[in-house]
Amino acid sequence: MKTRRDFLRATLLGASATWTVPMFVENTFAQLHNDTKDLAVQPVTGKDGPILVVIQLAGGNDGLNTLAPFADDAYHKARPRLAKKEKDLIRLSDYCGLNNSMPWLGSQFKEGDLAIVQGVGYPNPNRSHFVSTSIWETADPANRSNTGWLGRYFDNACSGSDPTVGISFSKTQPEAFGAARNPGICLSTPELYRWINGNDDSKTAEEFFSDLNRPDAPVEGGSIAMAAGGKTGAIQGESNLSFLERVALDAQVSSAKILEIASKHKTNVQYDGTPLARSLNLVGRMIAGGLPTRVFYVSHGGFDTHNNQMGTQDRLLGQLDSALKSFMADLKQQGAADRVVVMTFSEFGRRVGENASGGTDHGQGSCLFTLGQGVKGGLYGKYPSLTDLSQGDLKFTTDFRGIYATILENWLKTPSKPILKGAYEKLSFMG
Amino acid sequence: MLPQAPDPWTIYEAAHLLNRAGFGGSPSDIKTLHALGRTKAVDSLLKPAVGPDEFAMPEWCTPAKMAEDMQERIAQFRKLREETKNMTPEEAEKAKKNVNQTEQRENRQHGIEGQGWWFRSMLHTRAPLREKMTLFWHDHFATSIQKVKQPVLMMMQNDLFRRNATGNFRQLTHEIAKNPAMMLYLDTQNSKSGKPNENFAREVMELFTLGEGHYTEQDIHEAARAFTGYQLNRQNGTVFHNRRQWDDGEKTVFGKTGKFDGDDVVNLIFEQPQAAKFMAAKLWEYFAADNPPPAAVESMAATFRSANYEVAPLLREIFLSKQFYAEEVMRNQIKCPIQFLVQMLKQLDLNQAPQGYTMIAQQQLGQVLFNPPNVAGWDWGKAWINTNTLLTRYNVAGFITKGAEKAPGQALPVDESMAMARKSDDSEMMDDDDKPNAGKRKGGGVQAALGKKATPEKVAMVTEVAARNWRGPDYDRIAPRELRKRHEDLVDSLALRFFQAPLADKNRKRFIAFAEEKEGVVFTNHEVAELVHLMLSTPEYQLT
Repeated sequence: MKTRRDFLRATLLGASATWTVPMFVENTFAQLHNDTKDLAVQPVTGKDGPILVVIQLAGGNDGLNTLAPFADDAYHKARPRLAKKEKDLIRLSDYCGLNNSMPWLGSQFKEGDLAIVQGVGYPNPNRSHFVSTSIWETADPANRSNTGWLGRYFDNACSGSDPTVGISFSKTQPEAFGAARNPGICLSTPELYRWINGNDDSKTAEEFFSDLNRPDAPVEGGSIAMAAGGKTGAIQGESNLSFLERVALDAQVSSAKILEIASKHKTNVQYDGTPLARSLNLVGRMIAGGLPTRVFYVSHGGFDTHNNQMGTQDRLLGQLDSALKSFMADLKQQGAADRVVVMTFSEFGRRVGENASGGTDHGQGSCLFTLGQGVKGGLYGKYPSLTDLSQGDLKFTTDFRGIYATILENWLKTPSKPILKGAYEKLSFMG
Repeated sequence: MLPQAPDPWTIYEAAHLLNRAGFGGSPSDIKTLHALGRTKAVDSLLKPAVGPDEFAMPEWCTPAKMAEDMQERIAQFRKLREETKNMTPEEAEKAKKNVNQTEQRENRQHGIEGQGWWFRSMLHTRAPLREKMTLFWHDHFATSIQKVKQPVLMMMQNDLFRRNATGNFRQLTHEIAKNPAMMLYLDTQNSKSGKPNENFAREVMELFTLGEGHYTEQDIHEAARAFTGYQLNRQNGTVFHNRRQWDDGEKTVFGKTGKFDGDDVVNLIFEQPQAAKFMAAKLWEYFAADNPPPAAVESMAATFRSANYEVAPLLREIFLSKQFYAEEVMRNQIKCPIQFLVQMLKQLDLNQAPQGYTMIAQQQLGQVLFNPPNVAGWDWGKAWINTNTLLTRYNVAGFITKGAEKAPGQALPVDESMAMARKSDDSEMMDDDDKPNAGKRKGGGVQAALGKKATPEKVAMVTEVAARNWRGPDYDRIAPRELRKRHEDLVDSLALRFFQAPLADKNRKRFIAFAEEKEGVVFTNHEVAELVHLMLSTPEYQLT
């Protein structure tokens, strides 16, 4: 029987592929219905390895009202309506304080588990949501890369071809997962993450289904003129049909496992009903179930506050705070808190001056959180000047790729250079 | 001019045209189109027999009724302000909340009606290209009901797209700059002299006309100043230019200087040769394939410019070109969820879907009408597919093909978006006949059952009942009893219906083997449904 590995090898890499034989795929097919046992997956990193949870704050989170420089006159001058006063903040230093919609994160800062990097950005900032998100996700400001930084991590550092190496809780694959070999999977509702036949004699149908969704020969059509691919979890140069066949196979391979894990592991920690909290709840269940996943990706949207920013941003940050509080309590209860680090990012910060609609327009340079026991809490980087601006925007002081490098090397324990295609100075928020 | 294809064509090519320029059809639809020959077929799509008023929109979408509703709301707020003067703050808060809730409920109801109306229009229209282009413009000039909040404005925008479906791109851009839904979506409404909001100015260049890299940041700053002062009249939904809020100073855009307003900037944009290239490439990608060769783009852009940005001549060139029917173009497009749903219903000879179901399916598959994820519209192609959405497509197909009895409610996903949908909703709620004009009719089906007070609970109940009663397609028509005796012919006939191409040999053999295995005492509708669901649960079926 052909496997995903054979399929990938045959279709994409030719006979020269040399990576070691993972047990996983064979096992899963053999035991599709009855196991979530400790499979021999991800031999390099192992199932007890470190986990990264990435939370995308989509829309461009305003860093200036997340970590507010209350002591700076220029801040109040630029934002007569929007500026946060000292009393409305959780004071972190003589200069700045955390938006008080995030009391739990404030307490984590004090306990030393929350690091906030100030002034994060990249040279020649792009103010388009789409281009800038793409730059963050590919870690490539020239924006010509077809693979994402996490996809390159999967390719480079996670041997084997388990599709659950990366899981995104969304309806679409994040660009960060774009990979040459293994772009991870995507799911939103575990209970429905399977082929539902709904029939008495489902066995026959399922066998046929399984056959039809398992390509058994390299797919022809390499000559088909195709999009460069990669931006959407596709493999570069892959035809639409072979892409679909691969996804179908990944779905089959991962569905039995995920269904069982999701139904088995429940927590008594209370989560909110927000989409973010629900996603983090699922992440908690996947971790409890022992999936070999290295990276979970969730998105928290709505930060494009051109209009009446104050209420919206505070509410969204409050949701983030509450969801993370539940998630960390959940992890603590399962004894996995030391295995997980959370990183937030947003495609850009916002203009220093407020606009006429009580909002802010697209800017550059923002702050970023990393959270977990593996993090050395505190403020990192330098708060950008509010008077020395570039076209009304903050000038970034820390390149985001330095943060990626820190996490890759000090947390995921892998050389960052091949993944980031360059050497970036690490920060000291991880040991 | 792109090299043209000859007039004689195959049935597969006819199916390809109907799939891409519309939402596909049943075998008899395809035969009808094929009989016309290529050129006449293309012309019949470009000049449909029915006008843009083919289906009347729900009553609340007419300008008169809209103005009336808006004024009623304003009166209501005035009344509320009077009443709350003598109330305690708590009481006032409560009264306000009540009024807001009533309004929200009505908006929600209208939103659902509007979505259902559009979906049914796509399914029933005799002008499929017009509907396909309406969907294109909705994605191109993306506007979301989540921010706009007033369904009537979304429907007016939808009407604008339909009327200009194959009309003039420059004209449509002018209109969209002053379109109420777009203005609310991109904050033009609040853009004033001295403090311009750049949102619209940026997107009109980046996403609507030129693309990244064909303007400078300076162009955007200056254009934003020109787009100041446009305001929406909340009394009647019209837009006017308030000269006092307009920045009347000199601006420099694309190297030209003047006291520009919004219209001037749009005209300047269309003086850029890039505008024709940008749109020609995008239309090619929508209808044909990704990454059009630069020479083809140049050729199409020339057509487009000489036609003064009229879309119809450009589409004609595309649909008659040899390249549109090339091997690597045909059956190689990943269906968007709307295409997947509408085309599947048409192929199954269904003229409706179970009530409320199509809306839930849209949510699960990642494309809800009137609700694109952001101003760039949806991500297309491979982005529609991941492990999650692929399994959901298979399960949606299971529910539609087998009916509730055999796939009991299972394909109805129960996640949060679903719960939301259940609460309020039923896109097909008024759908108990063939024409999508149910909003106009009084009474009828679910609407009558619900009356005016469509509480979330009530709607959920009705939706579920409708889903439970779903019986699936008429398999006696799709697979006549006589045909079922010959497994190979049965499989070939179904393959033509669902794939419009010869099957890969291995799959054909599998389907035939399945049919053989299924053959019991008689080959019942139930077995046919099984076979059809299996055919639809394949990677190949996701392509058109």
